[in-house]
This record gives sequence, structure tokens and C-alpha cells, in this order.
Amino acid sequence: MNVFRRLAAQWGERYRRMSIQMVLSLSFTAVAAAGMLLMSVSLIWRSSAANEQLVAENSRRVLAQANLNLDSYLRRMMRISDTVYYRSIKNMDLAEDDLTGDLSLLYEENRDDLVSLAVFDGTGTLVSAVPLTALKQDAAPADSDWFRAAVQSMENLHFSTPHVQNIFDDPDYPYRWVVSLSRHVQLTRDGATEGGVLLVDMSFNGIEQVCRDVTLGSGGYLYLIDGDGELIYHPRQQLIYAGLLEENNRAAAEYRDGSYQETFQGQSRQVTVKTVGYTGWKLVGVAPAVSWLSVSPQIPLFGLTLLLFSVFLMAFLNFRISARISDPILRLERSIRELDRGLAGVKIEEGGCYEVQRLSHAVASMVSTMRHLMDDIVRQEGRKRRSELEVLQSQINPHFLYNTLDSVIWMTESGQQQEAIQMVTSLARLFRISLSKGKSIIPLADELEHARHYMNIQQIRFKNRFTTEIAAKPGAEGLYTLKLIVQPLLENAIYHGMASAEEDGVIRVTACREGEDLLIDVEDNGLGMRPELAASLLDEERPEVRTRGSGIGVRNVHQRVSLTFGEGYGLTIFSEPDEGTLVRIRLPALDREEAERRQQGEEL
Amino acid sequence: MKTEQSRRIQIAILTALGVAAALSLALPQLLRGTRREQLLSLTVMLRDTDSSGWTVARQGMEQAADELGAELRFLTLTAAGDSEEQEALLLREIEDGAAALVVVPADPEALSAALDPWLVVCPTVTLESPMEGAAGVVAPDNARLGKDLAEALLEDWNGGEVLLLDTAGRCAGVAARLAAAEETLTAAGAPVRREAELPENPPRWVMAFESPVTRRAAERREAEGRDFALYGVGSAAAVTAQLERGNIAAIAAWSDYAAGFLAVRRAVNAVRGREGTLSPLPFFILREEDIYAPENQKLLFPIMSSSSR
Repeated sequence: MNVFRRLAAQWGERYRRMSIQMVLSLSFTAVAAAGMLLMSVSLIWRSSAANEQLVAENSRRVLAQANLNLDSYLRRMMRISDTVYYRSIKNMDLAEDDLTGDLSLLYEENRDDLVSLAVFDGTGTLVSAVPLTALKQDAAPADSDWFRAAVQSMENLHFSTPHVQNIFDDPDYPYRWVVSLSRHVQLTRDGATEGGVLLVDMSFNGIEQVCRDVTLGSGGYLYLIDGDGELIYHPRQQLIYAGLLEENNRAAAEYRDGSYQETFQGQSRQVTVKTVGYTGWKLVGVAPAVSWLSVSPQIPLFGLTLLLFSVFLMAFLNFRISARISDPILRLERSIRELDRGLAGVKIEEGGCYEVQRLSHAVASMVSTMRHLMDDIVRQEGRKRRSELEVLQSQINPHFLYNTLDSVIWMTESGQQQEAIQMVTSLARLFRISLSKGKSIIPLADELEHARHYMNIQQIRFKNRFTTEIAAKPGAEGLYTLKLIVQPLLENAIYHGMASAEEDGVIRVTACREGEDLLIDVEDNGLGMRPELAASLLDEERPEVRTRGSGIGVRNVHQRVSLTFGEGYGLTIFSEPDEGTLVRIRLPALDREEAERRQQGEEL
Repeated sequence: MKTEQSRRIQIAILTALGVAAALSLALPQLLRGTRREQLLSLTVMLRDTDSSGWTVARQGMEQAADELGAELRFLTLTAAGDSEEQEALLLREIEDGAAALVVVPADPEALSAALDPWLVVCPTVTLESPMEGAAGVVAPDNARLGKDLAEALLEDWNGGEVLLLDTAGRCAGVAARLAAAEETLTAAGAPVRREAELPENPPRWVMAFESPVTRRAAERREAEGRDFALYGVGSAAAVTAQLERGNIAAIAAWSDYAAGFLAVRRAVNAVRGREGTLSPLPFFILREEDIYAPENQKLLFPIMSSSSR
């Protein structure tokens, strides 16, 4: 039971995992095959039943013909007997006439069918016989079955079962098998009548010839029995006599005329019985069941071929139809899977049946809508990011402008005209670069120029308490960078690192290319800080404290770089107390072309 | 991936169905071809110079051959009991492609040695005498037959020497009959003597253990007007006629028809690799008065089908 349950579960699981095409094609094929099998079995069954009737009918017809032939043969023998009796014996007085002449004449006319003709008196003494005229010395005709039957039932003719006639003295000892026809006769001797027996020994061959050539289909045969079931003729008679074969003759003797089913020695067969008139003999036709279950072994094979071929065609048709239904669905499913994987330009094919076409159309329409929505989202995200950047950038400008203008005011008031002019000039250049026609990505040279002007302003403000070195190493000159990312770091370096400097402060800006990246280092030799503090400066969770040098500018730069180029890019801070701070900006090394492409992408 | 797998399964199913349909279409032709090849060629070799004494056995053989799909070739010797000629003829038959042999061996031991290498490829069934390496022997229980025949003689015996016609030569089956009869007679106190031929003046009691020897002894008894009681073997018509004429007191008889049928059937089955065993043939001791009993008629006088004559 568990095995069945497990098998059912396995099949259920397989069925669930099966593709729609397999489910459709296998189900249809299985149902079609089952239907065809049922039809074939039904046809074979009906055909067998019809064949059985046909065989029975054929057997009856053949037996009727054999019966006719046998009846004709036996009547001929009876006519011979009648002729001997009514034309010879009844007209003769045995004391005066010799019967042998008449017997010889009849014998010669029918010698193919006759073995002997003989007349005996009531005691069994031979009166006359042909062709053998003498009895064996120890012959006792009166003890024979045929003699006793004739004497006991005087008005009838009696047919014996086949036997070897042994009463006549034949020097050749031929041991002929005969069927004896005997009857009681009235003999006249010296005018007085007495009982006697007329014997007509029919050759067994005559009966054999009547029965031998009768065929009853494949494996069928005919045999002849007397009323007691004793075999008279059987095509394999000697095998039965030798004990090598058995026949159901005793049972057949009990059957009335008609067809019967019987099982003999494990074999099912149809038996048709026909009683031969007058003698009580029975012709028995035997047709083995195989002869009607399958007239020929080729018929079931042909049926099998038809079945297999039909199943083949059905399977082919089912596979094609199921493919027509399922292939567009599968293609649709594949397209959706590709869409899911994020492949661009996936086309939704609208094919197959009407329903699938509608479905594909609906999906394609949905995908199109989705694409538009996604484009909108992307556009909106871009705008959002740009506005964020603008916000971040705007966090720098007012602060710096205020400080610078404050310095210019202070210098103008104190009569430092030349320094004020230089500061205002640098400020103007600074803003020009800041604007950069609205571009967010500018040449590295411009960014460094911007840093230089900024430092000019700050050096004036801080009375040259520190020196500045700004340089781009070979290989980095032609690269592009996000604008205004160095200045906030310089601002931090000034306010953080140079706060306590005594004219020995150095702020160094170095740009170099490292593989596919551009590195911009802003280094100072100021106070430095603890590494933990340096690391926390970039922490977005750190609360914003708007004080000078609180690191908010550094974090802004880091966020801008990360937002623009991805998580792998941004700032790294290396610092030790009393040794100084190095802030490293890592950007992708953008050439002009790439910078323009990115700029366009941002504008979209 | 799944679609590809489904497609492969579909192609496999369609191919299997197509092949099955084609095979079922071709099968009848193949079967017909096989059936045609089943006709076997069998050689039947006697140890006598003529086969008249084997007429009934031959009928049985032909019946079996007809039913089982075989054709028979009957061979006799130029000299009765010539084992060397028999060996040479049989070897030639094997070389000529005989599928199986049915042999009445003149010298079973020598024949077995001569055919030894071939017995595996050419199954051999013997009649009358067993042979080592043979696929079977079709014969009555020879020792039992000799004993029962001797007991039949003892029923009539009222004293006097019993002559045993020792014509066995190297034929083991006949020798076994003779030995068993001799032992039974000796045990009963009957004096026995062995002679190769019937003497001029045979004693009152004579026993023969072969059908032709029985027939010849009976014919001499009739021709020479002798008065010895002959006990013999065989169911040939000539022997039966002598029994009926009173020249034989009793015979041990069996169905030659059954013997022939069984021998060929066993040979065909052996060729086709079917196992089977052969039981000793049943035999009967018959006297003159028993001949025409219905069952004995069937045994002694086979119905000669006109189709087989």
C-alpha cells in the first residue's frame, strides 16, 4: 500500500513539474491510446465471437456434408445388403441354387468398398462367401458381435465398430480392418425357411475416405464414433490406439446434435456433433479455440500494427497541437523571465492561438506601460539627485562667500587695497569656475585652478601662516573630475589643521592617476586627529553640527562623489594627532568623452 | 531547457512507437521465415538388410515427422548387424547435414564411440538398445521382457531343455532379454542351452529374442513340421500370423507404431533443445487366443491409413 502511495506521490510530483506541452500531449495521447485499445479489444472480442459463430456454422455445414457423404456410402452398403437379400437370397432355395454367383457379381461391382460378402445359417455355418470361400478351422462366426446383433434384432441392419475380420481362411493373413454390416435373413432350404445372417464387410478405407479429407479450419478435425463413443474413425486413430493420444470421444457420445464448448486436456475447443442417420454413429467436428479467437496469427499482429500506427499518429498530432498551444506561452514566459533579469530591448512576441495572442498583447502592453513608468522614475530620480547635489553645493557657497567678503571689507577698511583687489579677483575667478556653465563634471585643471584661487583668498585672510602646493602628476592632467570637491577639504585643512600654525603650515594638493582611478590627495601638517575621529567624519549617522571645521564639508564631498560614481568611490581620511591629515578623494579616471557622456546622462 | 527535454522525450516516444509499428508489420514476415527453417532432416538407420519388419514403426515415425515438421531418410545395411557399415553410414549422414539420427544400433558401444564427437550437434535416439550419449532410447524394459517371456514358457513347461537362440551379438537390448530369460529359467530349474541358430533337431522348448529370428524359427517349424514350442518377440504381421497358425506359443509384443512415433518425436525435441524423458514401452505376452481381443487388434494390426500407403 505504501509503495502505491509513494508511486502516486512521485507521479503527482512529476505531473506538477511537467511542462504544459508534456501535460497536454501525454494526457491526450494516453487517453487516445486507451480509447483505441478499448476499441481494439472490443473489436477483437466481437470478431472472436463472430468467428466462433462462423466456425460453428462452418462446422455444422461441413459435418452436414460429411454426413451426407457417409450416409450415401452407408446407404450404398445397405443397398448391396438389400440386393443380396431381396434379389438373391429370397429368390433361392439353397438346396438347389448356389448363392456364390450372385455374391461374386455384387462383390466385383463393389470391390473397392467391400472386403467380403457372406451368408451364414442360424448356427453360424457358412452358406456362401466371396471372395474367400472358407472359414478358418477355429472360426466361430456365431460368437461374433455382428452375428449376435443380427440375431437379436432381426428387423434391423447393424453396423459394427471397426475390427479385423478373422473368420475367413486367407493364406496371406492380410488382417484387414472392416466395418461389418449384418442383418438377419430368411433362408430357404428344401422349401423350408430358416434364419440366417447376411454379412457385408465394408472396407474401413471407404469410411476413412469419406472422413479423411474433411477440414475444419486451422487445427480442426473430424472423427466418427458409434453410439457408445467407440472410435470408428479418427485422423490420429493409431496414436490413440497406441496410447499416445487421448480423445474426448466418450463425452462426445453424450452430446446431442449441435455445437458445444468443452475443455479437454487444458485446451478450450468447440465441438459440433451430427448424428449419422440409421446407424446411431456420430460425426464429431473439433475446432480448437485458437481457430476462432484468431483465425490467423497475422490478424492480431495486423491489429497491433493498426493500433500502434494510430497511436503514433495521435501522438504526433497531439505533440504538434500541444506545441502550437504551449510554445507561444513558453516564449512569453521566457520573455518575461528575460525582462525579470533586466535585459533591455526584450520584445514580447504576440503569436499562437487567439487567446494566447490576447494574453501576449496584454503582457506587451503592460511591459510597455511599465517601461514608461520606469523611465519616468529614472528621470525623476535623476532630477532628484541633481537637486540633492545642488543642495549640497549650495551648502558650501554662502559660507565661503560670507567669510571672503568679510575679509575684503576688513582689508579695504585697513587700507590694504592691493590685497583686497587680489582677493576679489580670485573670488571672481573662483565663481567663474564654480559656475562652469552649469556642468557638474569639469577638467581636473579647472578644479585645481579653483583650489588655487581659493587658497589665494585664504592665505590673504590668514596672513600667510601656511604655504600651499597644488600639483597634478603626469597622466592626470587631461582627466576630468566632479567640480568643487577639493575646496571643502582645503577649507577643513585650514580651519582644522592650520588653526595653530605659526607660518610653518603646509597644505599640499596632489592629483595622480592610479589605474582606472583618479586620486586627489589633500594633505596638511596640522594638528591631526585620532584615527577613530577621522573615521567618524564620514559617518552619515553622525549628527550635523554646523560649526566651522565640523567636517560637514568633508561629508558633503564624500556623498557627492558616492552619489555620482557609486559606492566604490569617495573619500578616505588618514590622520594622526600632531602629525597632520591626509584626505584622499578617489574618482573614476574620466577622459573627455566619458565626462561628456556622464554629463549628458545626468542632464537627462 | 525544459522545453528541450520535453522535445527529446517526444521524439523518443514517437521513435519508439514508429519502430514498434514497423516491427509489428515486419513480424509476420520474420515469423514466416522462421517457420520455413523448422523442417528438420532426420535419418533412420536400421540394423537389418530390409525394413519390412519395421513397416508399422515407420508409420509411427512418419506420423511424428508430419506433425513435428521433419523429413525422414530410411537406411538399411547391406549385411545385417554390420556395425562398421552402420557407423560409416551414420557419419556420412551427419556430414550430409542430418539434424538427428534414429538408430537401431548393431553395436551400441562401438557406435557410441564412433559418434561421440557428434552426439552433441546431432542428437541420436536409439531403438531396441540403449547407447551411451544418446538423447534417449525407445524400447521395452528388455530385462523384464525376457523374464516375463520365460515365465510364459514356464507356465507350459513340463520338463526338458530350453534352447535360447543367442543372436544378440553386440546388441545390448537383445542380450538383456536373453540374460533375464536365462536367469529366470535357471532359477525355476529349467535346463537351458544357448545356440546361435536353430539346430536340426531342436529341443521341445525354444526361445527367440528378436522379431526376425522368431519369424524364421516359426517358419522352419511350419516348413519342417517340427513340434517344438516357440516363444518369441515381435508384433510384425508375419510373426502374428505364425502365432495365429500355432507355430508360436507366445510372443512378447509392443506397439511398433508407438515406438516409431516416440523415437522421432524425441529426436525432434532434442534438436529443438526440449528436454524430455522416455519411459520403457509397455509390452504384452500374447498367445494365439488373445490375438483378436479388441485391444490387441489395435496393438497388433495398425489401421493402415490409405493416405500413408
